[in-house]
Amino acid sequence: MSKKVKVNIKRQDSPDSGSYWQSFEMPVEVGMNVTTILLRIAATPTTVEGEKVAPVAYDACCLEEVCGACSMRINGKVRQACSALVENLLQEQPEITLEPMTKFPRVRDLLVDRRRLFESLKRVKAWVPVDGYGERGTPERMSQSDQEESYPLSRCMSCGCCMEACPQFNDKDDFIGPHAVSQAILFNTLPAGKPLEKERLDALADAGGIAACGNAQNCVKVCPKDIPLTISLAKAGRATTIHTIKRFLTR
Amino acid sequence: MSSQNATAALSPREKYYFLARRLHSLTGLMFSGFVCFHLLVNSTVLVSGESFQYCVEKIHTLEHMGLLVPVEMATIFFPIAFHTLFGIVILLTSEPNMTDYAYGGNIRYTMQRWSAVVILVFLALHIWHMHWLGKPFGGAKFDPENATTTAAAAMQSWSLWAPIYVLGVMATAFHLANGVWTALITWGVTIGPRSQKVSGYVCAGLGAFLLVAGLGAVRGFMTYSVARDGGETAIVEHVEDGGH
Repeated sequence: MSKKVKVNIKRQDSPDSGSYWQSFEMPVEVGMNVTTILLRIAATPTTVEGEKVAPVAYDACCLEEVCGACSMRINGKVRQACSALVENLLQEQPEITLEPMTKFPRVRDLLVDRRRLFESLKRVKAWVPVDGYGERGTPERMSQSDQEESYPLSRCMSCGCCMEACPQFNDKDDFIGPHAVSQAILFNTLPAGKPLEKERLDALADAGGIAACGNAQNCVKVCPKDIPLTISLAKAGRATTIHTIKRFLTR
Repeated sequence: MSSQNATAALSPREKYYFLARRLHSLTGLMFSGFVCFHLLVNSTVLVSGESFQYCVEKIHTLEHMGLLVPVEMATIFFPIAFHTLFGIVILLTSEPNMTDYAYGGNIRYTMQRWSAVVILVFLALHIWHMHWLGKPFGGAKFDPENATTTAAAAMQSWSLWAPIYVLGVMATAFHLANGVWTALITWGVTIGPRSQKVSGYVCAGLGAFLLVAGLGAVRGFMTYSVARDGGETAIVEHVEDGGH
């Protein structure tokens, strides 16, 4: 006798059409995760009512929680489909519910357009400037303690969970999101990232920058990579306070 | 280059966003200072009616110097007006999701916004009820010359004033305590989770203290015996005992 799992999925056929729910049922497998569920549905897309439907569209890539592609609302909370194990989910509630993230434009079913996430990273220039062919020499070595503080920030996989759970990240404001603030702090700590330090602080002090944070601190709770996002947010608060005062006084 | 051009084309919203947010935090802290002072002064009614009258007279010595209104405007009214108006702007950008993410921080975030709405309504009622600004609208029941008696009479004039003030004090104590806690993060004073936890306990203590002071003041004014013999001016110095 194999145990069965019922999965309720919020579906949507196109970016502009309305959403509707469909339920599927399948045997529980050992070590099964949500991506497995979606693979099984793709193989035989038949609802519990026996209706043959189009397979559920979803995003997935690495299947080991490092790419950030498969973020979705699972049992009402945002997380990665690949690392959400069915046996754990069934302890939360008897049936599994899958919904797309709500803060990003929906493309189809569980697939969303996370462009705003990457636009935020562009706004804070979350990169090392290496344009051109000139010899830059070896960057200054980082101290052990800076390395230990920076490494956790470098684990960010741009999955969007922190933005999805943030009550200040929505269409009413243009908050860049906790991940972008954290990446700005990371690249401002890296010796090779220093040349853009002031530009990043300018970006953090812009509309929708660090000041849009409401300190609900959901970001750090939902981050699948356990990134200390609230430390980055507070560091950004301190850095922008000092930066904007200096900027004002040197004008 | 492009950033230079962009600076020229910034809209006022983009240009003053950070400043406005920081001023919102700063004005909140300023008003917090006033609220602490206000509730402590009010709670002196628990000592005696004369104590409260004495404090009010000390404050109103500013009036003789012509400074009361300017000081009131600069340290209370302008800060709270800005804090309120910009607070509404911030409130409108919020999408609370407490039911999905019932974490402590998120619950406090949502309560900060609910308490703000309660305080907004309460403050409007309170200013009408007690402050001279309420005079044109038939309010302004508080008279600094007969501070204790008029405040007590005003509080006892309607059965709903006590619950309204209790609610107002509760919302204020929470909003102030949580606001100081978030301001410490906003300005980058408390950065790590441990320092935020410690400051959380300190702020909770501050909130609890203000709650006790505020509720004590409400109780003090509710139980203060007002002369009801038709004579409308029962001057507090002549009341034998500020019994409570």
